[in-house]
Amino acid sequence: MGHSKLLLAGVSALAMVCIGLPAAAADKEIVTVVKVTGENWFTRMEEGVDKYGADTDGITARQVGPAKADAAQQTAIIQDLIAQDVDAITIVPMDPSALEGVLRRAMKRGIVITTHEADNLQNTQVDMEAFDNHEFGAHFAEQIVECMGEKGQWTSFVGSLGSLTHVQWADGGEEYAAKFPGMELVSPKNESFNDANRAYEIAKEILRTYPDIKGFQGGSAIDVIGIGRAVEEAGLEDRTCVIGLGLPKDTGPYLETGAVDSIAFWDPLDAGYVMNILTKMTVMGEEIKDGMDLGVQGYNNVKVSAGPGEGIIVRGQAWVDVDAANYKEYPF
Amino acid sequence: MSSKFYDGQLGFLALVNAVVIVASLFLVGPKFVGLYSMQSMATQVSELGLLALGVMLAMAAGRGGIDLSGIALANLSGVIAFNLAPQFATATDAPMLYCWVFAAISIVVGILGGAINGTLVGYAGLTPIIATLGTQMLFTGVAVGLTGGSALRLGYIPPLDDFANLPVMGVPISFALFLGIAFALAIVLRYTKYGMRLFLLGSNDVAARYAGIPVRRMYFITYTIAGMLASVAGIIIAARTSSVKWDYGTSYVMVAILIAVMAGVRPEGGYGRVICVVISACALQLMSSLFNFMHLSNFFRDCAWGLLLLLFLAASKVDLSMYLRFRTPVRPGRA
Repeated sequence: MGHSKLLLAGVSALAMVCIGLPAAAADKEIVTVVKVTGENWFTRMEEGVDKYGADTDGITARQVGPAKADAAQQTAIIQDLIAQDVDAITIVPMDPSALEGVLRRAMKRGIVITTHEADNLQNTQVDMEAFDNHEFGAHFAEQIVECMGEKGQWTSFVGSLGSLTHVQWADGGEEYAAKFPGMELVSPKNESFNDANRAYEIAKEILRTYPDIKGFQGGSAIDVIGIGRAVEEAGLEDRTCVIGLGLPKDTGPYLETGAVDSIAFWDPLDAGYVMNILTKMTVMGEEIKDGMDLGVQGYNNVKVSAGPGEGIIVRGQAWVDVDAANYKEYPF
Repeated sequence: MSSKFYDGQLGFLALVNAVVIVASLFLVGPKFVGLYSMQSMATQVSELGLLALGVMLAMAAGRGGIDLSGIALANLSGVIAFNLAPQFATATDAPMLYCWVFAAISIVVGILGGAINGTLVGYAGLTPIIATLGTQMLFTGVAVGLTGGSALRLGYIPPLDDFANLPVMGVPISFALFLGIAFALAIVLRYTKYGMRLFLLGSNDVAARYAGIPVRRMYFITYTIAGMLASVAGIIIAARTSSVKWDYGTSYVMVAILIAVMAGVRPEGGYGRVICVVISACALQLMSSLFNFMHLSNFFRDCAWGLLLLLFLAASKVDLSMYLRFRTPVRPGRA
């Protein structure tokens, strides 16, 4: 009996000590939640988040993300952040629809919510897009069509069918290529689940099923790596056109051999930085105006439009095309 | 009764919970044990806990019992309910009715899915890990086929949203439901013929058959209940995310097994306690949230869970009860 009383006394004493501790510094805390930790894309984004934190007074910025790309784990992280009463959360959602409920409750508790790559999400105050997604997809398809000589079989990849932007790129590409009667889309929107090995295996399978295939449009940032590896193993570097989202450093070796022909990207560092700029402006109650210059390359003249909910969508013009000739200019 | 209720595993699990809570006061301060934070954790633990209870039943039934299809069935029941419910009620005109219809359809799907597992394991005599792996793929495939792979939005339906999140007298409804189901299951396992037979069956299925226990029917019932529990988890998931999707929570399969093993459910069958599963699920949730509060990487969390699992397996081989019992029994030869 005395045992448990002692324990109880100890715990309550401890609790009192902790409550008595001074509150944390008055900095505003902005947390960036990404789809998955440990992938180069989001590691680069973290650099942007850290840079913003270092550049900006009165703001603590940090990035978190699940170890596995699962919407359930991302939701759990966001719920725990809400319980911590952070000032603002800026999110790259794994699956925007799965977050509606949790984000609505976060906003009710007075937490500022902004997002990236989720222009269909209702419960967000600001959604930041690097560019118009359909145009970006069409931009890939334009290069693929040209590279293939306007005829032949081609296919598209997405990180997952739930990743809205990837699907929009694939759709944008499909619409563009449909203008050319010689272009035959086969087995579209293959899901790589943001896993280069998976993309590699799917690409190998596609090469077996469609031996004459000439075009590949990558979706997630690592799709072109997997596809490139499969193309390289099959010795088809010169006959195929592999074009998609990618990071220069990761894709460099494949650009060199010609297994991947060209990549385009928006710099996740800038995206992370701009997400935090917009979040801070929202926290401070500043208005985000059409045509504003956010002071980051590609975001010098942002377009502001109404979102599907109460919030707004902010779009930059931040895509960069890179091939074997100039990928070394981008050190990430 | 009290000495029967208390055992070493239960004590150890309770201790882990206490240690995490006390550690949290040192590491992140009182916000962690605040009401909102506790409610947030409670809403998170329900769906996992229900899946773990299903795994526990399958494990306790023996013959290498396991249910890998739980989360797939949970998602499938949500998807089918999403597709069928508008036939009976519309979410905008009669939101309450819609929710009940949604829940009823989910549970029917869960029971049917569980019955498929039960038939494969009980009547066809398939090894559970293979049978449920097969049905996991089947359920996933059907859910993908019905949705085209994208998430389907339920939209904001107030009663459903309240069910997932609204606390009644401080306790979130979904968590109360989880506790209620766990309590009912505990009563069934302890006081009914089914419960007694389940553990006998798990200990030795050959002996159980000679003793006149209807072995096949027992497996059928057990996997059907597991399927039903999964469908309740599916309702909670749909309510919490306001959407249904085939791949939500795919990482839950292993976590549910981890919870069950940590709770001392014997993987060979014949033993398992509901209360231990509930406390084990809480321990895992507390740890997971604490790591999030401490800004630790989620990779570290997986690593910590692995360590904890090994620790529990080791602990189950050593009798800790004499260190953990508050009333230390007087032993001969000691003062």
